[in-house]
Amino acid sequence: MAAPARAQTRRFGNKVKDAGLAYLFLLPALIVFSVFSYYPLYRLFWYATHTQSRFRNKPASYVGLNQIKASLTSNDFISGLTHSGLYMLYTVPLGLLLGVMLAVSTHRRLKGIKVFQTIFSSTVASSVAVASVVFITLVNPEIGYFKNVPWLSLRNPSTALFAVSLSSVWQNLGLTFIVVLAALQTVPDELIEAATLDGYGAIRRFWRITVPLISPALLFLGIVLVVSALQAFAQIEILTGGGPGGATETLLFKIADPRGIRPLGVRASYSLGLFVLTAVVAGAQYSIMSKRVHYGD
Amino acid sequence: MSAVAFDQVTKKFGDTVAVDEFSLQIADGEFMVLLGPSGCGKSTALRMIAGLEEISSGILTIGERVVNHIPPRERDIAMVFQSYALYPHMSVEKNIESPLVANKRAKVDPIERLRRVHEAAETLGLTEYLARKPGELSGGQRQRVALARAIVRRPEVFLMDEPLSNLDAKLRTQTRLELVDLHRRLGTTFVYVTHDQVEAMTMADRIAVISEGRIQQVGAPQDVYERPANLFVASFIGSPPMNTIEGKLQGATESAPPAVLTAEGSISIGHPGSAVTGSELVLGIRPEHLHVTDPVDTPNALRGTIQNIELLGHERHVVCSVGTTLMTVRQPNDAPPVAIGQAISLQADPSGVHLFDPTSTDRLN
Repeated sequence: MAAPARAQTRRFGNKVKDAGLAYLFLLPALIVFSVFSYYPLYRLFWYATHTQSRFRNKPASYVGLNQIKASLTSNDFISGLTHSGLYMLYTVPLGLLLGVMLAVSTHRRLKGIKVFQTIFSSTVASSVAVASVVFITLVNPEIGYFKNVPWLSLRNPSTALFAVSLSSVWQNLGLTFIVVLAALQTVPDELIEAATLDGYGAIRRFWRITVPLISPALLFLGIVLVVSALQAFAQIEILTGGGPGGATETLLFKIADPRGIRPLGVRASYSLGLFVLTAVVAGAQYSIMSKRVHYGD
Repeated sequence: MSAVAFDQVTKKFGDTVAVDEFSLQIADGEFMVLLGPSGCGKSTALRMIAGLEEISSGILTIGERVVNHIPPRERDIAMVFQSYALYPHMSVEKNIESPLVANKRAKVDPIERLRRVHEAAETLGLTEYLARKPGELSGGQRQRVALARAIVRRPEVFLMDEPLSNLDAKLRTQTRLELVDLHRRLGTTFVYVTHDQVEAMTMADRIAVISEGRIQQVGAPQDVYERPANLFVASFIGSPPMNTIEGKLQGATESAPPAVLTAEGSISIGHPGSAVTGSELVLGIRPEHLHVTDPVDTPNALRGTIQNIELLGHERHVVCSVGTTLMTVRQPNDAPPVAIGQAISLQADPSGVHLFDPTSTDRLN
């Protein structure tokens, strides 16, 4: 039976050709990931397992996992972790809630509603630096509009982190607003009308029908906001520089270490900690919420 | 069960009048079809019964109650939407159950609720699909879920907004029968919106034909077909549509019955009604009331030429040009053969000739 054998060879040949083509298409992404993700991750691990003198006049020496262990159990790391955690708690739920509220309030057919939609989404178009400068001016203790609001003070260690968080909430509001508004607009009017006829009041209708239908957008925003909270740097650097007394030094701020206080090996160890933390939080969020998230039909 | 009554109800969207002084009595237990082309205001009228549109002026009554300012959930109505509007994140069971749990005031205890959901599911053959999500169902099954969700609450009035238009032709025919059967079993008032005259003719107790926000005619399907109130109804109902041609009325003489003289010959008519001898009018003749005859000197016939012959299996439609107008004749298959290009005469059954006023378009006979 020569013919089937030949056909089989041809099929095998085609498979090899298809696979080759597939890898060819994957190659650009693979190169980008290697250069910007995999190699840096490897270097990070290398730095975390070596100590180096500050002036780099001696070669780095291998210390194994000891440096990582010491760094990740230090008080400095724990305080960074605490600040990052608080920052996340202050920014994510509040930001999500405000974004949803604004989106719901402008999701209606009204004359001039576009003006409000534009205003609410405007923070998307302003950079972190600009927004932070605006905020720092607003809370300036001499001339600021909010100079007499004690819980917005950037100079009090017990309020500084919350004040910085509020500035972040405000900066992220545009994104949250736009994404939620877009999600609301995909909910068919007829579904809301059907729910109205079924007898749901406005609030239960929102929780029972609207929220499940926009849940993919909420999951997306939840993850984006958590990651951006864990990676916040510019606003902290501009508003407080990590102060007062290290009260706003989040984990990432300690890693970036603009004052150059910590050795490279310690910061690399912190980075590994943050990497694991981000992965765990995002993973947990995804697995918890994806059970309740509904992706169309 | 409840009657529904529109009393001079008007709905305006800005300057646009969607529903114009609607007056319509829908009897308790009646199957009323609102029929009209798209954009005629029929859906708006239905949505006003549901409470989804506010009423600009006039009075709307369900049962004994004026409902102008009563919110939808207190109206005791159920609606089936064209898109079915099923909740995609809920199982079929939860979808059907929804009206029983949503309305806090009309809450049903859990045992009764379960019983009713299963009863509704059984009525519509959905029992085996209760655990599925709407996305896992076919169009026809989704449509049934929407119906089940409507019947589970046992409303006073059922409202249906083109519920069959997303189904394929075969399923549509089948569901039509099922809806009629459902109406018979439940005995509840149905208000059904459609642009499809076949749905209207086959299901309705009465049809309200609507155009440009106004009711053109209300009546039993056969009455609307046989005695259309104006030219719009005459041409909207019937397929192929009624043939029309302009002419002038000639009174009866001792030797001849009354007839209408057109540019292409004359047509005998029955009683001219309120039409005045010598006046201009529009003749309407349904395709089944026209007959092809030999062109040799037939008195009271129109002269024409055959343009096309459509074979439909059980009958054929012969399209003839009469002057500048095209007229269609419906013939049984065993009628004498005809050929395209053949010169013919057309005669009409005098009882099947409708007369309309050319300006008001109202019926005259």
